[in-house]
Amino acid sequence: MELMYWWILPVAAAAAAGAGWLVFRKGNRENARRRPVANADRLTALPEYQAALRRYRRWLGVAALAASALAASAAIAVARPVELTTIRPVQHNRDIVLCLDASGSMSSADARVVEVFTELAADFDGERIGLTIFDSSAVQVFPLTDDYSYVQEQLTMAKDAFNGEAGTSGFLDGTWNGRGSSLIGDGLASCVESFPAADGTAHDGPPRDESPRSRSVVLATDNFLSGDPIFTLDQAGDLAQERDVRVYALNPGDFDYGTAAGQPGALLRAAAEATGGAYYPLDSPDAVAGIVRDVQATEAAAIQGAPRAVVSDRPDLPLTVALLSGFVLAGASWRLRP
Amino acid sequence: MTSLLQRVRSKMSIFAHRKARGMLDGEYGSVFRGRSLDFDDLRAYIPGDEVRDIDWKASARHGSPLIKRYVAVRRQTLMLIADTGRNMAAESRDGEPKKDIAVMALGVMGYLAHRHGDVVGLVCGDAHGSRTLPAKAGVAHLERLLQEVDSGTSLGSGPSRLQEQLHHVARTVKGRKLLFVVTDELAEDPGLEQLLRRLRAQHEILWLTIRDAELAGGGAADSFSVADASPLLDRIARSPAVAAAYATATAERESGRHAMLRSVGISEGHVANSHDVMTELFALLERHRRAG
Repeated sequence: MELMYWWILPVAAAAAAGAGWLVFRKGNRENARRRPVANADRLTALPEYQAALRRYRRWLGVAALAASALAASAAIAVARPVELTTIRPVQHNRDIVLCLDASGSMSSADARVVEVFTELAADFDGERIGLTIFDSSAVQVFPLTDDYSYVQEQLTMAKDAFNGEAGTSGFLDGTWNGRGSSLIGDGLASCVESFPAADGTAHDGPPRDESPRSRSVVLATDNFLSGDPIFTLDQAGDLAQERDVRVYALNPGDFDYGTAAGQPGALLRAAAEATGGAYYPLDSPDAVAGIVRDVQATEAAAIQGAPRAVVSDRPDLPLTVALLSGFVLAGASWRLRP
Repeated sequence: MTSLLQRVRSKMSIFAHRKARGMLDGEYGSVFRGRSLDFDDLRAYIPGDEVRDIDWKASARHGSPLIKRYVAVRRQTLMLIADTGRNMAAESRDGEPKKDIAVMALGVMGYLAHRHGDVVGLVCGDAHGSRTLPAKAGVAHLERLLQEVDSGTSLGSGPSRLQEQLHHVARTVKGRKLLFVVTDELAEDPGLEQLLRRLRAQHEILWLTIRDAELAGGGAADSFSVADASPLLDRIARSPAVAAAYATATAERESGRHAMLRSVGISEGHVANSHDVMTELFALLERHRRAG
């Protein structure tokens, strides 16, 4: 807590001292307009007078205290108490595409990913999110958008579909066209393609002068490829790297044997890390939440702005004190009215 | 400088319009006039003269009341006893300085004495000491006495303490005198009562009390104590509880003083402003004559 105009305080103190001097200077000259009376002790010695005098002095003390508290707190409020903090502002200019393998083995992990993003989307402010599901072919459920109510609605539907609830089977339509299953390279490529072009040509109208948005793909797959994809995983990873998209891979079925590079988990790890993302093997669907938040934090940290000093006014305490002492002063003045 | 005595005499002449001034003279004469047994002559009756001084046979022959006069009437001495402490510089109940009322009362009494050919002296002072101005005749001397009281009383004077002056009189004044005491509302106290008893045994005493200002109740205004210049809080003084307590205390003090003076045998008069001085003095003299 600091005072922005600290020099107000000595000025206010000097003003208060001057006012006090003016008021108390001529204590004796006051008697000029009073009448002289004799035997005043016959009045002042009365116990009733003494009691009334004590009461009067008590209220006078209260009034003096309240007045000085009011003056002091008002002076402090005028001196503008501020809190200086250094913050690293988090910029909410991220684009996230959820890229979910819709094969049957992935449904519980997908449901968790969607659920977590449903919760996260509630706190989003400026982020854009998109959802693409793929099996043998990729379907864009919704493109990058910041219409969060729509996002919530779609994510809830997706969760219900992944949980296999009745009446939701149509959600996964179009992801299976018989050419194989879990064509991961194709799915990832579709997801990467759903970002607008980095040079802004995808925008209508003149290119906007805005800070570049970070791009990430949350890819949930077990990397059990069956079929013949157009893009291999490596090619899709290269595409992502080219487009400056980080891939965070979640693998609920990491059944690698040993550390050989040809295992599906190891391949996925290599592809993800090549893009600057990360790879998380999942032990249970419940671990998804922690991982997604981890990814979010990493992403946020990656695009933090420069540290900035923030000056925030904190007048509430002195103003509260001023208000209260004002009330007390009003009450005391009412008691002391002539 | 306007003469204080001039003021007193003009006040007395105004009073004369309402009551015959001679009446006041008669009152004074019957109270203070010393009597000898040697008959001198007769003079016409003045209202206020003692009825027992009327020579009934001579009056019957003459057709109008005649008063017996005696020769070798002792020249009386009137001692004015005044408090010139700072209490007397304070205001009276009706807002006049008490000093002015005291000067008026002393002047009237002194002038009456002067007209009867008596000599007038003064004892005045405050707690720090008393001054005596010896008894002499003449208006110039009377004027000097009044000036002494008038200029000797101010807010810078010492605290008031009439006992000091009374002690001084008891110590220094020889012979039987007429004492005229002008002071404010004294409180009864055993020492004072004893002192007054001692003085009363030797002298004739008239007592005039000048009313103090009301300190409490509705009449209380912004005021300060002459004792220490400290202001009185009139908002407290006006509060009913304090006013009631003060009124009770004042009434007790009053009755205590009355009882003391009565038991000693001193006639007391009260006055709150200088207009009432004549009436009150007349009543006081009348009362004293009756008390005999």
